[in-house]
Amino acid sequence: MTKLVELPQGTLEMLILKAVSLGPLHGYGILLRIQQISGERLEILQGSFYIAIYRLERRGWIKGEWGESENNRRARFYSLTAAGKRQLKAETAKWTDMAAVVAGILAKKAREI
Amino acid sequence: MSLLAAIRKLWHSVAPRTHSDVEEEFRSTLDAYREDLIRQGLPEEEARRKARIDLGQPDVQYETYRAAIGLRPFDEFGGDIHYGLRALRRNPGFAAVAVLSLALGIGATTAMFSLIYAVLLHPFPYAGADRIMNLFGVDEEHPDGYSWISFSKAQLDEIRLAAPVESLLGFNEAHMEITGSALPEDIIGIYLTENAGTFFGVRPFLGRNLEPSDAENGGHSVIVLNYQFWQRHFGGDTHVVGRTLEIDHAPYTIIGVMPRSFAFNDMTEVGDVYLPASLMPVVNVSDDAYLAWIKPRPHVTRDAANAVLEPIVLEIVKQRTGRVPRGHLALQPIIWIFQKNTGTTLKLLLAGVVLLLIIGCANCSILLLARGRTRRHELAIRSAIGASRWRIVRQLLVEAIVISCTGAVLGVAASYWLAKLPLLLSPDSFPAESVIRINAPILAFSVALALLCGILFGLVPALRLSRHDSARMLPGRQIGFVAAPAKHRWSVLIAAQVALTLLLMATAGTAIHSFLGLMRMPLGYDPANVMRVGIGLHTENPGEWSRLQPREARTAYIEQIQEKIASLPGVSIVAVGVDATPPYIDPFYEKSFEIDETGDREQPQARVMLVDQQYFAALRIRLLQGRIWNADENTRGDFIAVVNHALATRYLSSSNALGRQLRIPGLTPLNHSQVASAQSTAWRQIIGIVGDARNDGLDRPVVPAIYVPYTAVMQPDAQFFVRTQNDPLTYLQSIRAAIASVAPDQQISTSSFNGTLTFNQALEHDAQYNSQRLFSILFGVFSAMALALALVGLFSVVAYSVAQRTTEFGVRLALGAPRANVLWVAARIALVSAAAGIVIGVAVDSFLGAVLAHWMQSAFAAGSLFAAAALLALSALLACLFPARHAIGVPPAEALRYE
Repeated sequence: MTKLVELPQGTLEMLILKAVSLGPLHGYGILLRIQQISGERLEILQGSFYIAIYRLERRGWIKGEWGESENNRRARFYSLTAAGKRQLKAETAKWTDMAAVVAGILAKKAREI
Repeated sequence: MSLLAAIRKLWHSVAPRTHSDVEEEFRSTLDAYREDLIRQGLPEEEARRKARIDLGQPDVQYETYRAAIGLRPFDEFGGDIHYGLRALRRNPGFAAVAVLSLALGIGATTAMFSLIYAVLLHPFPYAGADRIMNLFGVDEEHPDGYSWISFSKAQLDEIRLAAPVESLLGFNEAHMEITGSALPEDIIGIYLTENAGTFFGVRPFLGRNLEPSDAENGGHSVIVLNYQFWQRHFGGDTHVVGRTLEIDHAPYTIIGVMPRSFAFNDMTEVGDVYLPASLMPVVNVSDDAYLAWIKPRPHVTRDAANAVLEPIVLEIVKQRTGRVPRGHLALQPIIWIFQKNTGTTLKLLLAGVVLLLIIGCANCSILLLARGRTRRHELAIRSAIGASRWRIVRQLLVEAIVISCTGAVLGVAASYWLAKLPLLLSPDSFPAESVIRINAPILAFSVALALLCGILFGLVPALRLSRHDSARMLPGRQIGFVAAPAKHRWSVLIAAQVALTLLLMATAGTAIHSFLGLMRMPLGYDPANVMRVGIGLHTENPGEWSRLQPREARTAYIEQIQEKIASLPGVSIVAVGVDATPPYIDPFYEKSFEIDETGDREQPQARVMLVDQQYFAALRIRLLQGRIWNADENTRGDFIAVVNHALATRYLSSSNALGRQLRIPGLTPLNHSQVASAQSTAWRQIIGIVGDARNDGLDRPVVPAIYVPYTAVMQPDAQFFVRTQNDPLTYLQSIRAAIASVAPDQQISTSSFNGTLTFNQALEHDAQYNSQRLFSILFGVFSAMALALALVGLFSVVAYSVAQRTTEFGVRLALGAPRANVLWVAARIALVSAAAGIVIGVAVDSFLGAVLAHWMQSAFAAGSLFAAAALLALSALLACLFPARHAIGVPPAEALRYE
């Protein structure tokens, strides 16, 4: 079994933006998609999941609309707004930069320092 | 952020998702998850349970939502307010007392603040009002005496050209009469230099103000109306502009109406109509026709402007009098007179209301603390189930603020009326233009005050009550007979409250004491049943004026009216005088005079009173030596004078004053409307000495006065002093008729300066009388309120503690304690604190007494302090014993069952 990874603070919102960027999803769908993309390696604290969604919606990065789910149930579908797209791009760039820098530092051998 | 995003953000903040929307979404997610779990093989019940554990409860999801979007503080705050209101409703008696205590304090403070705002901070509507200055002359010998300097038109122009002057307004007040209608009506007209419109910078309510073009061709016949006059005379008709008004038999076109806030001018009289100065009749034109206001350029300091203008003004005075004036020029802002006279009064009153507010706050604190004991249980439960101390403090503070805000709403409403009280009691002390209204600064002030009070009186109880640890408080009610805690925060508060109350009461006592002293002061004349009735001759009517201008004709005219009034039944005596109404006689002539042929050794000064021989009898001024002049001497006007006792002792002490000679070189006409007797400036023999009658205000010593026949310098107006057998105002109609029988179109003046006034009314207009009465009444009211608050505080503390210690008292009684002893136990702490408060109050008062007396310009009365202390002690005793008596009324059996 693969090891579970705990999410660093604040990254859940970025993941939600990413999940929604691939197409409108309802809340449970977002949860599933994140787990699916990550290869079931992420343990999402489910209590904080909706809080993150509410905040994103409040900031206007995602917007929710009522629609029909795959099994004909009423569900609220979230999609990325233009502001959300920009935010995702910015966050991705920031994250990649940071990850590269941190990885670079950690990869240094003792004699290189 | 783009505009669209801003709008969206705003929309999201004002219209967040609804409760059902959030809940429905959550349920759908919950269902989807549960179905997944079932598909994975979990039993249905198990799946439902796990879904809820993992995701949460749908019913609290909306709260999660609101917390997530940052509304939690609002929700909690709203909850606190809601809870606070509910707590107040549950306990209406407590709520009413607390809210009223604050409403009194906040109302009084707001009222006083709005008064200060209107009177001292923002009284005038004029553009650059803080720059406008009066030109005062200060005599070297009387550095405290300020007098207005007057100018001719040419002199005004000279000053206007001086470098520091941006603009200058000249004005002259005149008594006029509306003619052309059935009843002549007396009005005040003010001639203004035609730059008035730009000088004032006040937008007219209707039409336009005077403009420089109105001076063309000797002046256009136009008038601008005062708001009050427009309301009174035209009933507020908005189509009045362009209509014609006949004044003194000449038509004037109405060009504008000034707004309500414009009431030029406080220092002379508020004008009913304003006219171009170029229209001023020739008889009024003289060397000193105009008073002036100057507006120095911005950034020119007062001292700099004063330094430049002084030589110019002194030169003008020198040219007029022919002597080098011994004095200097003092520019003073137009508000200065009011600040000088009323500033201290207002500060004292503000101090009074702040004390009242503090007492009100202390009262609320006491009530909260006393009631707090009944809430310990509730608070302990709240903290046991996880409320932090901060949370409980906040809850209690919000409750306090709910009380203070409710109090503030009531207080602000009440302040609207309260603020008018000082204006009603002492109208002369405030600028006529200060309008009391609730405006933004005042509202901001009272809201800030309310919050401050809430925090002030709520904090101590909140900190104290939130301190109890739940473990000690929770296990049921304590059963014990020593239930009273050893420490009482409120005993300190009660002592402070009582001390402050005593301070207010003693101040009120002092004020009342000195007011009574003022009332008992010998006046030197008898004001009862004497009335002044003024007439003005028609100087503007050429035919009539040419007939009455000669001195003999004018004397005959006045004597004829005098005789007619004297013949009325009920009128005992009628005298004639010019501006000779005590207790403050505006010196028509304050002149230097010479005694005998002693030369210029000292320049004695005296007020010269123009009166007739009946004046002394009408006012009942005592004749000390010699005699009063007779009717023939009165008609002649020359060679004789009567002096008052003050003059005789000051200037004639060495020998017998009677028979000595004095000469008043300045007793000459000042303008064309006056006419002097043949030798008005010649030597006069002193033929009599009369007693001192107040002539410089109630609070100041009588100044030396010389009485000469009014015919010495005949004025264009005169006043009759009518002594009647009862209330003089009831004779007004018959006096009018008597005057009309001599001259049908002779109106009597109704204006406040020379018009109809009983001598008792004149007393009430005295500045000292006014301010003393204001202090007495307001401080009386303040201290009554403070006393009521303090007593309510005492009462409720004892009542609460008796209610809480019912068991204890029951047991004490059951064990045979004497009733007096139980009573003492019940009231002890409150009584001891009150007594301590009184002792502290007496000590502080004795210390502050001197300061207070200085501020209030009256002697500090130790007697009134002890009277106040005694009254306070007695009422405190009653306020404690009344509720305490319930302690001994408890039947022991019932008390024990109570638990």
